[in-house]
Amino acid sequence: MSSTRAGAPVLAVTGWSAVSPVGTGAAGFTEAVREGRAGGADVSGMFDAPLPSDRAHAIPDFRAADHLGRKGTRHLDRSTALALVATKLALESTDAAVDDDTGGRVGLVLGTTAGSIRTTSEFSRDTLVEERPYLVNPVMFPSATINCPAGRSAIWHGLRGVNATVAGGQMAGLNVLRYGANLIGRGHVDVLLAGAVEEFSPHMAWGHRALTDGYDVPLGEGAAVFVVEDADRVRARGRTPEAEVLASAFGTGAPEDTARTLEAGIVRALRLAGVDADEVWGVATGEHGVAGLDGAEDAGVRAALGDGPVRVRVKRLVGECNSASGPFQLAALLAHHRSDPGLDGRVAVLTSVSSDGAAGAAVVRGHRLPGPSAPAGPHGDGEAVA
Amino acid sequence: MRRVVVTGLGPVSNVGTGAAAFGASVRAGRSGVSPITSFDASGFPHRNAGEVRDFAPEELVERLDTAEWGRSSLFAAAAARLAVADAGLDPDALSRAESGSVMGTTSGESQIIERLTEEEVAGGWESLSPHLPRQVPASRLAYAVNRELGLTGEAMTLATACSAGNYAIGYAYDLVRSGAADYMLAGGADSVLRWAHAGFFRLGAVAEDVSSPFDRDRSGIITAEGGAALVLESLDGALARGARVYAEVLGYGLNCDADHMVSPNPAGIAECMRRAHANAGIKPGDVDYICAHGTGTPANDLAEATAVLDVFGDSPPPISSVKSMLGHTMGASSAFGAIASLIGMREGFLPPTTNFSTHDPALGGIDPVPNEARPADVRIVQNNGFAFGGNNAITVFGRVS
Repeated sequence: MSSTRAGAPVLAVTGWSAVSPVGTGAAGFTEAVREGRAGGADVSGMFDAPLPSDRAHAIPDFRAADHLGRKGTRHLDRSTALALVATKLALESTDAAVDDDTGGRVGLVLGTTAGSIRTTSEFSRDTLVEERPYLVNPVMFPSATINCPAGRSAIWHGLRGVNATVAGGQMAGLNVLRYGANLIGRGHVDVLLAGAVEEFSPHMAWGHRALTDGYDVPLGEGAAVFVVEDADRVRARGRTPEAEVLASAFGTGAPEDTARTLEAGIVRALRLAGVDADEVWGVATGEHGVAGLDGAEDAGVRAALGDGPVRVRVKRLVGECNSASGPFQLAALLAHHRSDPGLDGRVAVLTSVSSDGAAGAAVVRGHRLPGPSAPAGPHGDGEAVA
Repeated sequence: MRRVVVTGLGPVSNVGTGAAAFGASVRAGRSGVSPITSFDASGFPHRNAGEVRDFAPEELVERLDTAEWGRSSLFAAAAARLAVADAGLDPDALSRAESGSVMGTTSGESQIIERLTEEEVAGGWESLSPHLPRQVPASRLAYAVNRELGLTGEAMTLATACSAGNYAIGYAYDLVRSGAADYMLAGGADSVLRWAHAGFFRLGAVAEDVSSPFDRDRSGIITAEGGAALVLESLDGALARGARVYAEVLGYGLNCDADHMVSPNPAGIAECMRRAHANAGIKPGDVDYICAHGTGTPANDLAEATAVLDVFGDSPPPISSVKSMLGHTMGASSAFGAIASLIGMREGFLPPTTNFSTHDPALGGIDPVPNEARPADVRIVQNNGFAFGGNNAITVFGRVS
């Protein structure tokens, strides 16, 4: 079990965005969470290749050019396109200074499972089916490499600080927060975009079918990105964060011990955060509808927190988004804080488990949005939330 | 803050498995390059790679079921197992301690993606082997290490392409330094891939026979593979248990060119060197040896030399590339660079740049340690790693006297 003890800072969230099956941007995503609106779209026209199902929680009408313009967006793989849009929207949402002068101190930590698996596979496919095995499309070569979305996002936005890709799969959300806190705490960077991206494709869909055999679990896609900084520095400058990631803890164990690994992670993260279990209003889990793993996560959560906290199951809305799941869970917690002023200053927990035996948690304190973008009304009143 | 040292080295390479065999090969300038056997390369004009032909994971790992893990994960686990043995650590004590792993990679388990792709081409989507998709996530490289060694701390896989090994060492260093972990296994792993060989070839970046870094007539990389792991622990802990200390990790620097996906940028690389020096608390004049990224492509070696001359002046320290021997092991390469450097530091030699024949006037006064290892008293090493996406990472090591 490792954790953010020994000097890692509290991370302030000073902006965020989501590109999701249920809404785009923090506002669009928040609205979907408030309404409990689930994704689900006809995906039969998205690809030439066959799909195991005509419906999925994909974003068939996503077009990078709608957000970024046509220039430079023609040869992007889908993961990179999603990342570019999510990072752009995140940067537009923050009051952190990101410009030519500060760009060297602004970085990006992006989670993934294995990059654009579709692009890698299609590149590999060309080596088999083309007349010569080297007659691959060189333009797509960078996209076949796992760190392409992060690298291209840095180029697009001029982010010359640390650029990292964390292949965390289900744990990616916790991984990027953890890795990001270390980078900020050790002075490697001042401002980080931290999140994850996952694309829908025939490759993902067929792989997902094998992984969830016997269960009806919709596959999703999307990206969520948070602007994080040292919370003390943010407050010292008179700025108000929307949320704070107080601590995180995670570890690995035998897959059959996942519930215990998770329980230990939650307990430790709470202790590091200085928060009691009965202060926790909600738990955003990665439960997705496969009994074994869900059972372990549920057991770990109940063992550490009891039955009190509200359970936030964002995968019911966005589907199984693999590495982007953790970031969507965090986004869902923030959406609840935006929608319900009664949650101002209260603490929630985010949990993740993986089928490989990794499990852990982060502790998040959410605040009311300051100033003109304050929530319009209490949770569920139907009013627009900015 | 604790001082952090390296006490164990675990190379699984095409020039030797284990620190002794690997060190002897590097010192002798042996080549690990051979004709490709892991896929049918007959249709490629350039058919050499740095495969680890004798890799026998079942003989190296003790706990993992090798059928359940991809080749890169097995490289990672085998390297970590070797590193722990080299460190003289009791495996049970290690698994009871606060310990975890950070592994770097370029392509993770892309070999599994290639197998699934072959199945799709041959038999359609319905024919995919149901057990393979779960082996695809690159996160499994670090999970393989934790599972093999029974580590209960974090397992993180950093997929920052060809500098990933240095990212991993840097992060592990921070965790031990802050006290968040007592022992960390850090390194990298990658496997030879048909698609990557094709992609680099299509970019004009694959050499026909061997790689000749810093040579005037250098023509590209040799795609290669392997696993490399280092044991990091606190200096106090190492001294208390009477461990052999290879070197102290002095610090590291990370930045991003934010300029071009595949072309290196000398200004970005120079900035990364300055960051690494500042983080390590050293000045350029303190560096005795630079273990180069040194891929052997015209663009990399020119950009790297330009940055070195910018930061160090006209008479920089010797800079050599172990990729001349191993080929380009991608996400493992900077971890292999660290291992070669630390063995050289301990045994008193600089690893050579082999296959060198003609000085390149465009590279100024750099000294590539041509062809033969050189006796040297090395106190501080700078280990370079650069990557697609402008992901620069440099680690700095110092001798503990």
